[in-house]
Amino acid sequence: MSETTPSSRPRDGAGTRSRQQIFSALIGRTGVLAALILLIIVSSFLNDRFLSVPNLMNVLRQVSIVGILAVGMTFVILTKGIDLSVGSILGVSVVLFAGILETQSMAVAIPLGILAAMALGLVNGLGVAFAGIPPFIMTLGMLSFARGLAFIYTGGTPIPILDEAFFNLGNGYTFGVPNPTLILLGTLLVSGFVLTQTPFGRSVYAIGSNEDAARLSGVPVGLYTTIVYVISGGVAGISGLVYASQLSVGTPIAGQAYELDAIAAVVVGGTSLFGGKGSVTGTLIGTLIIGVLANILNLTGVDPFVQQLFKGALIVVAVFIMARSSRA
Amino acid sequence: MRGATMTDLLLDARGLTKRFGDNVVLRDVDLSVAPGEVHAIVGENGAGKSTLIKILGGVHRADGGSMRLEGREISLSSPQAALDHGIVVIHQELSLAPHLTTVENIFLGHFLRNAFGMLDHRRMRARTDELLKRLSIDIDPTIPVGRLSIAQQQMIEIAKAISVRAKLLILDEPTAVLDANRVDTLFELIGRLKSEGIGVVFISHHLEEIFRIADRVTVLRDGSRTGTEPVRDVDHDWLVSRMIGREFESYTSKQRQRGEVVLELEGLSSEGAFEAISLQVRAGEIVGLAGLIGAGRTEVAQAIFGVRKHSGGTMRLNGAAVRLSGPRAATRRGIAYVSEDRKAFGLLPNRPVRENMTISNLARFTSFGVLRLSRERAFVREQIEELDIRLSGMQATISTLSGGNQQKALLGRALAGRPKVLIFDEPTRGVDIGAKREIYRFIEDLAEEGAAILVISSEMEEVIRLSDRIIVMRSGRVAAELQRAEASEETIMRAATMA
Repeated sequence: MSETTPSSRPRDGAGTRSRQQIFSALIGRTGVLAALILLIIVSSFLNDRFLSVPNLMNVLRQVSIVGILAVGMTFVILTKGIDLSVGSILGVSVVLFAGILETQSMAVAIPLGILAAMALGLVNGLGVAFAGIPPFIMTLGMLSFARGLAFIYTGGTPIPILDEAFFNLGNGYTFGVPNPTLILLGTLLVSGFVLTQTPFGRSVYAIGSNEDAARLSGVPVGLYTTIVYVISGGVAGISGLVYASQLSVGTPIAGQAYELDAIAAVVVGGTSLFGGKGSVTGTLIGTLIIGVLANILNLTGVDPFVQQLFKGALIVVAVFIMARSSRA
Repeated sequence: MRGATMTDLLLDARGLTKRFGDNVVLRDVDLSVAPGEVHAIVGENGAGKSTLIKILGGVHRADGGSMRLEGREISLSSPQAALDHGIVVIHQELSLAPHLTTVENIFLGHFLRNAFGMLDHRRMRARTDELLKRLSIDIDPTIPVGRLSIAQQQMIEIAKAISVRAKLLILDEPTAVLDANRVDTLFELIGRLKSEGIGVVFISHHLEEIFRIADRVTVLRDGSRTGTEPVRDVDHDWLVSRMIGREFESYTSKQRQRGEVVLELEGLSSEGAFEAISLQVRAGEIVGLAGLIGAGRTEVAQAIFGVRKHSGGTMRLNGAAVRLSGPRAATRRGIAYVSEDRKAFGLLPNRPVRENMTISNLARFTSFGVLRLSRERAFVREQIEELDIRLSGMQATISTLSGGNQQKALLGRALAGRPKVLIFDEPTRGVDIGAKREIYRFIEDLAEEGAAILVISSEMEEVIRLSDRIIVMRSGRVAAELQRAEASEETIMRAATMA
């Protein structure tokens, strides 16, 4: 059992940490960040344009949509769940924004679109938490269902968005930073605060770590699990906001397969699919690693087909390293 | 064994040493086992028992020392190598495939095949029957083992080991999961192994078992061997003093001040689990709930804690009838429950000790919806001090702690809710003697401070030592209520087993 681990030894534990433990701590805490920094350094040598401000801003703008989705996904994965429906929910919110903007103002369209996304998340949450449907199945069903809603709403034809203020949301800059990036950072800060500084956030980790123990400790597991899926849905709505505004068109195919990119970002960022371990900071770094890699591959003119290979390998290698280090 | 020459020995390990980094966890340990001998190893958690087993089982490689099996030097590079030499380790967590039958489990990895290369079910069945008969194990070998009891599964594991011609069987705390009757059956089985010339290394926290079953005993403390003697030459006090390095202070019961009835059950029933349970626990009182495994004790605790619905009867808290909707409601009413199954229902395994200790009452550390981390840390620091939890820091992941320290952390968690009623279900399961005494003291202190306490335990010694009153359950009913003075292992056992 654990009696061989130094930390179980009387009080002298801190002084005698083994090399393995230090290694795994480094990987866990700063390893992902180190990987990002390394990637940036290497990239800056590979291409002069990489470190230019316009290019970096470009990267930040490009990762925003998936980054926002990944922040919501982090909540779900921390509870040992998965949300495959975020891409489709994003699609629903996108067509709703476009459709409502045809007749209404932004002040009506934005809340309605996000509320609709939250409602779909609520259905996921109720299914998982109270009907006992496995998250994978529940959200796989929603992936199809929500996409269907988006198609039905538009009749299959994209709805153009003409509202200029709305266009600005996704394409403008504030204090020199792209708006989508600010929205990502805002989502991230709020989420990080909720996860680390509130009883709800603490409970999310507890549910993922051991649901039964959390329940016996008085954590309202059903309610909180439901809320987690509502958050994931709502955040997909926010992401849809950026998407609709950037493209200025409400297309029913918006966000297809984005759920997979979001999951990849979360996992590369060090959040465990087995629940209870991870952070939104990690997710941001994971998002950036994937974004920077795509960017430098583009800049150096790597064939887009080959880029897919890099991305796939990155995900597997990242998880492999983390699995090794957490076993140590 | 005295007088045995080296070649008579089945296993002769000398000078085994193991380091993890700078930490020497096993220092120059000798261990020998003769054929047909049961050699017990005792020691507190952290004494090096597990490391020793892991070396014998080929999981760890020793940094120093040598091992001989039947006189020949062996080197175990992997668990498979140990198996190939006939050394089989049976862990507390059994490694059977639950969906397969006994026959399939026993032949897993070396299925018998017929002339066409297909599985030869008939021959495997016949061999299994023969094996089970030889070991007097009475189970149906054709049902999935997951449907059998833990005790039966354990026997199948042992039978499986015998089927691969084990010479040395290492049983790591085999009795921890068994109740008294089942322990008898296990010991009978071990007796039959002895007569077949198989050597057994037996690990247990229950010293009385050592006296029943072992021929020799080796005591470990802090990674070193502090003694090896024939069991008939030693007594309980000797073992304990070797284990903890000092004389075991005998316990004197303090008379506690008892207050009002805090928890009262009247005719509480739950279909299929227990019936017409009535009991009272006063402030400052420790009531023991004794009985065999399966008598319904844990189910009663679950009903009190609101995890299990009761179909009849009343539960009163401070005189007022209550019906609790779940653990959350129970916690709010000042009830705390420490589960018997630490791993399944207690630990948040990959979270820090700090978070593990406060999850039961985060509201206490929250103002305006935000956690006050400094307040939380202060509470945790206090509990770590109070319970003497040994760790590198409150940020340490709880699964890296020893069993005793994990349990203490969960006791600390129970206190986060400032409970008036505490239910401890097997509070010292898988915990070493040192931590055990500290846990007893902790429970007694709580009672002295006026908490009403219900202790469920399958260990007679423990119930007798802790309780002011003992309620014995049998088949879901209260079989007897014993005052401290009339409680003994005999009276409890009689009530628990006889109608």
